[in-house]
Amino acid sequence: MMRHSKTIHLSLCLVLLVVLAACKGGANNNTTTGTTGSVRVTDLTLGRSVGGDKAVTDRTDSFKPNDTIYASVATEGSAQSATLRAKWSFEDGQLVDESTQTIAPTSQARTEFHISKPNGWPAGKYKVEVFLNDMSADTKTFVVGN
Amino acid sequence: MSIFDGFGKKKEEKPRADFSNVQSGSSTTAPAAEAPRPPTVEPTSGTAGSEQSYTVVAGDSLSKIAKRFYGDANKWPRIHEANRAQIKNPDLIHPGQTLRIPAA
Repeated sequence: MMRHSKTIHLSLCLVLLVVLAACKGGANNNTTTGTTGSVRVTDLTLGRSVGGDKAVTDRTDSFKPNDTIYASVATEGSAQSATLRAKWSFEDGQLVDESTQTIAPTSQARTEFHISKPNGWPAGKYKVEVFLNDMSADTKTFVVGN
Repeated sequence: MSIFDGFGKKKEEKPRADFSNVQSGSSTTAPAAEAPRPPTVEPTSGTAGSEQSYTVVAGDSLSKIAKRFYGDANKWPRIHEANRAQIKNPDLIHPGQTLRIPAA
């Protein structure tokens, strides 16, 4: 009986450890945002269009060669001045485009960056990396196919 | 087919994609930040058209600075060349850096 009780205790401890480890892993997965001062990037979404609130209305990570590609960046917090930069790259890191937007957020805000190419995007894998005050804040990958 | 077919042949390099005509833009729901302070331009001598110095501010790039001083962003290598000692990577300049701006 005593041995049985000890086994149950050990099993409970093991379960607790597994649960704790899982929780820790989950928290790490959420640390994809960057923080600078009191402003932080909370979300980066890709799509084919944005609304007046600069949020993506046609979310996707798979585009056609003639699509305009939008990246919508959500920020929280306030600052007199913060610089968001979107760096778009192709395959092995070839620079596609880089643009910046300086904002003075007072609370939640959204900023969209978009790129288009009149004669169509080459098929392949792309990446957009968003920097907040020159510190990498979030990254998304997407593909262009026919 | 011999298993040695292709051995020693130079691997064909994939041609680089051309992104020269990419168009980009951005907009935001956040209030606009205060206009950036005017560049600190200090002529190093009294003569017009001489070398100047410029202190980098947040959001600057060599092409932006070239556009500001020469009216042509493609002239950034001139600034890079004049500041080789402190700019190892032309994509990476830092606010507060003081750059030499050669005469146009």
